[in-house]
Amino acid sequence: MLLKIAWRNVWRNKRRSLITAAGIFIAIFLAILMRSLQLGMYDNMIKNVVGSFTGYVQLHAKGYWNDKNIDNSYKVNQLTVDEIKNINGVSNVIKRIQTGVLSSNNNLSKFLYVTGIEQEKEEKLTDWNKRLVDGRLLDKNDKSIIIAKGVAKYYNAKVGDSLIFIGQGYHGMQAVGIYPIKGVIDMKNPNLNNMSVFMNLSVAQDFVSAENRITNLVIDKEQYFDENKLAEQIKIKTDSQNNEVMTWKEMTPELDQLIQADSAGGILIIIILYMIVSFGIFGTVLMMTQERLYEFGVLISIGMKKYKLVITIIYETILLTFLGIISGVILSKPIIEYFHFNPIKLFGTAAAQLESAGFEPVIPMMNSLDIPLTHSVIIMIISLITCIYPIIIILKLKPIKAMKR
Amino acid sequence: MKKFYLITILLTFNLWSQTPSEIIKISDSRLRGDSSYAELTITIVRPKWEKKMSIKSWTKGTDYSVSLVTSPAKEKGSVFLKRKNEAWNYLPAIERTIKLPPSMMTQNWMGTDFTNDDLIKQSSMVVDYNHKVIGSESIEDLKCWKLELIPTEESSVVWGKLVVWIDKSDFMQLKTEFYDEDMEIVNMMLGSDIIEYNGKKLPSKLEFYPLDDEGNKTVINYDKWSFDIKVPEKYFSTQYVSRLK
Repeated sequence: MLLKIAWRNVWRNKRRSLITAAGIFIAIFLAILMRSLQLGMYDNMIKNVVGSFTGYVQLHAKGYWNDKNIDNSYKVNQLTVDEIKNINGVSNVIKRIQTGVLSSNNNLSKFLYVTGIEQEKEEKLTDWNKRLVDGRLLDKNDKSIIIAKGVAKYYNAKVGDSLIFIGQGYHGMQAVGIYPIKGVIDMKNPNLNNMSVFMNLSVAQDFVSAENRITNLVIDKEQYFDENKLAEQIKIKTDSQNNEVMTWKEMTPELDQLIQADSAGGILIIIILYMIVSFGIFGTVLMMTQERLYEFGVLISIGMKKYKLVITIIYETILLTFLGIISGVILSKPIIEYFHFNPIKLFGTAAAQLESAGFEPVIPMMNSLDIPLTHSVIIMIISLITCIYPIIIILKLKPIKAMKR
Repeated sequence: MKKFYLITILLTFNLWSQTPSEIIKISDSRLRGDSSYAELTITIVRPKWEKKMSIKSWTKGTDYSVSLVTSPAKEKGSVFLKRKNEAWNYLPAIERTIKLPPSMMTQNWMGTDFTNDDLIKQSSMVVDYNHKVIGSESIEDLKCWKLELIPTEESSVVWGKLVVWIDKSDFMQLKTEFYDEDMEIVNMMLGSDIIEYNGKKLPSKLEFYPLDDEGNKTVINYDKWSFDIKVPEKYFSTQYVSRLK
């Protein structure tokens, strides 16, 4: 009954209702788009660096991350790998051995990271075929290498050329070898593109004389699983005396910090947006209350209970807010959808800046339920707070005074 | 009065039958000979592991030396060649001879605690330093001169000074301390296990301690050592390194 009255009240003065709803609509629309863009950018950054290569969690020998030395490698047994794989939320466990070497070809030389990989498992992390620029991927027992495209550009090397590597092997052994290039790959990340060379795990282990040893165990998670919880579980399953478990936030704190700093700025802008909107809503509510004082007075004098009137006002506010929220969410959805699949491409200096920091210069929008939901709730709370004013007015209302013109 | 002076001078001369520079010179030439051939085992000791390498080494005078790694199997055939102030490294795995650039001079030689620079400049003890005897001490019952070596101004030595203990009868370098520019001790080398090689008494075991890294050391054992033998000139050429046996 009260709901019905509220519904009618809303439509009785269409212009007033539309102004209120439009204020809410603009707020939610802008907030959703802004947040989607921002979070989409962070998500892409994380995917660029973490999802496709670093992995969300890694297991190392204790002290490896601070001193990335082949002597800090460790023997991993299959039992541990299987146990980690069985943890709920772990989608993939990949062995890697990585070492820095001096590479050379003709008169050029360059410092590179050689990574021994399990090709077929790495492909679960990213589609290597899609990233292949030239040549082919490694076969099992292949003694050749895949180089990142920045390396290929530096050496002006093509498939079939060879690179020489000189480095430090395990326990003081020399690591020296010459390897033919089989493929060129785009790592989608400038840092990785300029530094990476891949070979089969066993070939790399032989190169550094570290049979059966690895430096990193990369653990990929299923979407929406919390990497911190996974890390905790992995810690339990592994020998914490000799191993360290690190999440991507610990391994690449600069990325996390960058995101947090940037995100704080975004949140500030949203707070300002919400403040403006709150006053907008409050303004219309104030206007409405003053306009309807006479009406309230009549209702109360003919015997309507004050609390019932209050409830009607609350219903009205909820209805109006819903109207704004739903239209905002619905209208922002196709835009988000479009830019999620067709990310905004950056050009010029902005693109160069992002690239030099190691990210793809595109901004896709994040397409998730979280963002509209969070902001709908926030707007709802704001409008409920603003309707405290008419409630107070109603509770204090003296019908005779209100009806006096 | 004059007589007395003369006697004193004569006495002193007798007591110090060699000047400090001569001591170093003799010691250095005994260690080197005109040419030499040695088979040695190098043990690299680290807190968590050890690595043994076998090496054959030929030298000629102070300017030429060549070392061939014979074990471990993976590094077999690697050659380190020094000609005057230049050094080359031959790596059989890639069949290439690499000239060591100046930037690699401060890097470790084949994973030991020596730097490439130590090996290339090793002869300079005679030429690059001013020598002074600062005392007499015994090391393992051998009476030694304790000499202080300060680099001459025109030399390009990295050390602030060296302190060397050389025994008085056979001129063996039994202990050397390396100080940096701030006169802080950085490295120490100890010679022990004296053996007679071709009638020359020499320490067969050299231990090199980098004092900054606790638990690290490099031990060199001379299994064979002969001097003044004929070493073909071609051994010290960059073309021959791949055929050295």
